[in-house]
Amino acid sequence: MQLWVYVVRRLLLLIPILIGVLTILFGIISALPLTDRIAAELGTGHGGRPITPQIPCTNTTASAPIPSVSSNTSLTTPASTSALCTNPDWQPALDKLGFNLPIPVQWAIYVYNGLTFNWGHTAPGSFMSNLIGEEGKSLPVTTVLSWYLPFTIQLALLSLLFILVLSIPLGNYSAVFRNRPLDQGTRIMSFSGYALASFLLASLVLIAAVELLGGATATVCGSSVFNLVYGSWPFQLSTCYPVTSYPWVGTHVFAPTSPTGFPIVDSLIHGQWSLALSVFSRLILPALSIAYLSVAGILRYVRNSMLEVMNQDYIRTARAKGVPESSVIRKHAGRNSLTVTVAVLGLTFAAFIGGFPVIEEVFGLDGIGKVLIWSILPNYDYGMIFGTTILFTIIVVVANVMVDVIQAYLDPRIRLG
Amino acid sequence: MASSNGEGSALPARGRRPNPRLDQMKRTWYLLRKNTLAMIGVGLLVFFAVLFVASFFYHASATTMTQYCGTYYSGYQFYPTSVCQNPICTYPPGSLPPVANCYLTDPNNPSFVAPTFSLSPFHLGPLPFGSLSTDPGAPVFYNMFDGIVKGSEWSITISVAIVAVGASVGLLLGATAGVSGGLVDEAIMRTTDIFLSVPQLLLVLVLIIVLEPVSIFSSLSGRVAVLIIGFSITWWPFYTRIVRSQVVVVREQKYVEAARASGAGTGRILRKHIIPNSLFPVFVQIALDVGSIPLIIGAIIFLGVQVWPTPVFPEWGSLAGASVSSQIVGDLFLGGVTYYPWWQLFFPGITLFLFAISVNFFSDGLRDALDPRLRR
Amino acid sequence: MSASASFPSQSPLPEPEAEAPAALDVAGAATSSPDVVLDVRGLKTYFYTYDGVVRALDGVNLKIRRGETLGLVGETGCGKSVTAFSITRLIPDPPGRIMEGRVLLRGSDLLWGLDKEARFKEVGKTGRYKIRRSYRRIQEAQRRMMAVRGSLISTIFQEPMLALNPVFRVWDQIGESLTLHRLPPTIDAMLAASTAAPELPEAVDRLVDAALHKDLPRIRAVSKEIGQLTGLPSLATEMFYAVRNPNLVGTEAIGREVQRCLRRVPLSGLQRSYLQRRRRIAELDQTLRRIYMTEMKEGKPDRRGRGFARARRRAVELGSLGYRLPGIRRHVKRPLDSELFWQAVGLLESVSIASPAQVASSYPHELSGGMLQRVMIAMALASDPEILIADEPTTALDVTIQAQILELMRALKSRVGTAILLITHDLGVIAEVADRVSVMYAGRMIETAPVRELFANPLHPYTQGLLASIPRVDDPNKKLESIPGSVPNLISPPPGCRFHPRCPHAMPICKEQVPPTTVEAPSHTVACFLYHGVEDRN
Repeated sequence: MQLWVYVVRRLLLLIPILIGVLTILFGIISALPLTDRIAAELGTGHGGRPITPQIPCTNTTASAPIPSVSSNTSLTTPASTSALCTNPDWQPALDKLGFNLPIPVQWAIYVYNGLTFNWGHTAPGSFMSNLIGEEGKSLPVTTVLSWYLPFTIQLALLSLLFILVLSIPLGNYSAVFRNRPLDQGTRIMSFSGYALASFLLASLVLIAAVELLGGATATVCGSSVFNLVYGSWPFQLSTCYPVTSYPWVGTHVFAPTSPTGFPIVDSLIHGQWSLALSVFSRLILPALSIAYLSVAGILRYVRNSMLEVMNQDYIRTARAKGVPESSVIRKHAGRNSLTVTVAVLGLTFAAFIGGFPVIEEVFGLDGIGKVLIWSILPNYDYGMIFGTTILFTIIVVVANVMVDVIQAYLDPRIRLG
Repeated sequence: MASSNGEGSALPARGRRPNPRLDQMKRTWYLLRKNTLAMIGVGLLVFFAVLFVASFFYHASATTMTQYCGTYYSGYQFYPTSVCQNPICTYPPGSLPPVANCYLTDPNNPSFVAPTFSLSPFHLGPLPFGSLSTDPGAPVFYNMFDGIVKGSEWSITISVAIVAVGASVGLLLGATAGVSGGLVDEAIMRTTDIFLSVPQLLLVLVLIIVLEPVSIFSSLSGRVAVLIIGFSITWWPFYTRIVRSQVVVVREQKYVEAARASGAGTGRILRKHIIPNSLFPVFVQIALDVGSIPLIIGAIIFLGVQVWPTPVFPEWGSLAGASVSSQIVGDLFLGGVTYYPWWQLFFPGITLFLFAISVNFFSDGLRDALDPRLRR
Repeated sequence: MSASASFPSQSPLPEPEAEAPAALDVAGAATSSPDVVLDVRGLKTYFYTYDGVVRALDGVNLKIRRGETLGLVGETGCGKSVTAFSITRLIPDPPGRIMEGRVLLRGSDLLWGLDKEARFKEVGKTGRYKIRRSYRRIQEAQRRMMAVRGSLISTIFQEPMLALNPVFRVWDQIGESLTLHRLPPTIDAMLAASTAAPELPEAVDRLVDAALHKDLPRIRAVSKEIGQLTGLPSLATEMFYAVRNPNLVGTEAIGREVQRCLRRVPLSGLQRSYLQRRRRIAELDQTLRRIYMTEMKEGKPDRRGRGFARARRRAVELGSLGYRLPGIRRHVKRPLDSELFWQAVGLLESVSIASPAQVASSYPHELSGGMLQRVMIAMALASDPEILIADEPTTALDVTIQAQILELMRALKSRVGTAILLITHDLGVIAEVADRVSVMYAGRMIETAPVRELFANPLHPYTQGLLASIPRVDDPNKKLESIPGSVPNLISPPPGCRFHPRCPHAMPICKEQVPPTTVEAPSHTVACFLYHGVEDRN
């Protein structure tokens, strides 16, 4: 079939998967005690635990503050109608939020909200809101995520680039030179990448980088060497980058960059080459760490798929035609084993993106991983936790769709199905 | 010779019936032996098995000890710098920044003074503070060697338990999907796809966080149960997928068709033919997973989630994760590397690394030995 | 750089044999008569596996003359395909190893340098050997083979469905053959082509007229004329198919179509320079090939010549990197791609494929086996080779298709005159197509004769058994005969004559010595102790 038909069909499959994931989250959420989340949702006190289980029944006439909460149920509020002693003034809000409805209806509302990007609000008073400097306010989860998403996407793209550049040639040539030194070397690389925990590798890389650049106490252009490799933004604008103000850059109290939200792109748009370069340079080490860890899993598959391809008849035909060996490897074999490589990338994408919180934490980068980590500090911000999880899942699913499309483009036999 | 079953047996009267499975295993072992890396892996695995058994008989002892003094940094980490000249030190809890020559006290229990540490060769460095635990359920360990040995008990048990549960569920579902085909197959595979779309780490995190306030899960065994449940829910899809693809291949084989033609029912076919022949890739995957689970637990602890009832728990991944919390990395560069308790990172890290490497070598060698396409 | 492997059983080195080695001239050059294109002498190929050393070929001799079709027959596993692949060194070198032999093509020994590529060292006194391969030399040998593969010797394979790359379209794969071996003449034609001929407009009118009347012979004739007038023969093919499009109605539509085809002829400056570069690279490739052939002929390496040719080639390639930029690349490649496409269509026509334009733009998995085999034949003949090696071309096809392919091969034989080495286990195929036949058994050549002679008068007991086992329609009472026993294990073959365990005429000497090849009748040789003719020293 035509390529675009395949693309459309594949895109349509997105929806059921998202519904499935939302269902899973719905199931998980149902395990949360009701009180925790009412309080978290309505923003009383601090978000999440610990919170006293009893919410006193008072007959106050003043209604509890209901900060800017949308009228639809959010991602954090399915629950039973179990009667705990709650503030009777909250009852209308509870009804509006759907606590009284039967479970299938709650599920439907939940899924609907999930699909329409109606993910609730952050809990004021949680660590999360400290991060974004909005202690008193409650922002929609999607807004906060949209600020941080571009940072993660930058890192993801760079990591993917490194992964492809590392795994494809290494895997292919390991297969061609089977059991020779290159193969043994890549085998060691793949083992070590697998056996090292992500946080260990990242920490060691960071420490090594700082030591190599002159040690913890060295300074470059007036700011510590540490700041060259750590963090998202140049917190200390040193003498090397003599710029006075970036009105469009959020530094300590976070605000998204304008106009696109992607820091590197925006820096380039505003003509701040050095800023763009410094942001980019802070991405290199984390991307390399992620790539090293991911390549460990992929390399074996690339190698094995290349081995299989090299044993095929059409390779023999190409050689018999007189095609030079380098072209045989590159063109005939490479194209065919690329399909499997791409497939494996798709399969490991979930693990790839799951490693982001750790790496972002170690290297101090902004991004949705960091947001997740701040939300799971005590005083959980359930809205944020679930919102982030859904966002990660969407990324994985979209990536899988793209992988399928690329596969179909590369290998025309796939389009038959 | 006449046979006694009256059917005219085709078996030879003497000698063994050739057992192809045994031959295959012998051949696999032969190929495995030729693979140096795989043998290193097997050796290390044997070492870990011995460690595991030993850990049940090992009791941490806090006998002849010397008191250390040092700086109290960042919460509960204590960095000893020298042997105390004064045998008694006091340190008022709750005050920062670090003051030299402080005592070791338990912030939960101010009247408690920590035992000092023996200088026996298996010391491996003083422990992180919280391991002198006051939680009655949590195991006690005094130094890093204790931590590693006792850690083997926890790490290996938990990994094996998780993998066992995940693999069983996966095997069951995968075999069902592969054999039934049609709607059941579709349903199971779609569910698998859904679960695989959520990144592992996140799902486990969310489950742990959500299940924490539930009261039955607050004791040590409860925590272990939460871990096992959380990981199994994340892990079963991998096995389902592997088993199903293998089952689909096996079910097309001629011997299955022959068995069916001679009247065997589905259960018997499943039991005797399909499942035994589908198990090999599962073994490979099991070996890999056992190695990586402690790493993930470490990552979770690193991110700050309270998995265990105490801040520091003897389990390799937890020890490593607790030692490299992000605060410490930042502190490293503000205060320099001198006060960093490197042994708290190094020994658990090395153990994790060796464990993961050993299973990886082994499973890789196993896979190469079993792969018919590699044209041996 | 080298690998070692240790083997469990017997000595892997060739046994010293009772048979005299293939006779060679003092000078070592080919003494075969001038119309012999391929002369294989004493070819020995062994495979080193964990189960032992498989002696797949143990001294095989072959001669193919110009324009003749030599059939190579034998049971499965007797080494026919191994022979074919050993000729062009397509044997995978970790398990396999060509031990010794000479393959003389146009005076060059394709297996030159064999002895230096691997060394066999005995491990203690266990009778095991370690092989140390010099991968560098093996790689050089493979590069030398590129002088020969595709251009002088083309191969077609057994299962056409698997033998074509599934991700490239058919025209792309045929075009690859053309690019490798026929690029300079193609580019010359493209550069010289022009639409300036004064007779052209009138010819175009005639074509349109013929198309309107659906007069096929005229369409073909006129389009051929236009091809000649413009200097681009592929235009003839293109126009022939273009004007026959049933959707074109009316003079104007057809006329526009013809003009569209003609628009392919003029080239922009950028395209011209690109084509000139490609031509230069192809010329240098041909120079390299000639150098390789000379090396193999004279038996000594010409590193300087090679080095220069490669360096010049690299220089030209570097210079043409600019053509890879996204926008430019499509522009400069388009005329060449069109030209290759239509040349491919022409080739597909010549192998009797209907609607060749359709087939050319398809992927291999969209076509049937018979069609794909024709495609493979077209691809193999694209470079006009001296020898075509056909490895069981019809085995994977069903009988009706088989008949078509054989018919095609016969037609091609008379038209093109390529020498063919036809490998098969089917005597019927041999009878249809071959001129001479060689029978192989367990890695040795046991009988060679012209086709009719072999069928009329088989000498070797094995051949007799083979022919006797063919079921005959005209004798319904006859029992199905078969040769008792089974094909020997090539790891531990029987000593002496390998057929003796199954031979009804076995004598004591058959167990001890290898029978020499003797000439029993003009160009009929056999290797059997039953016969005492003159030993064949060729």
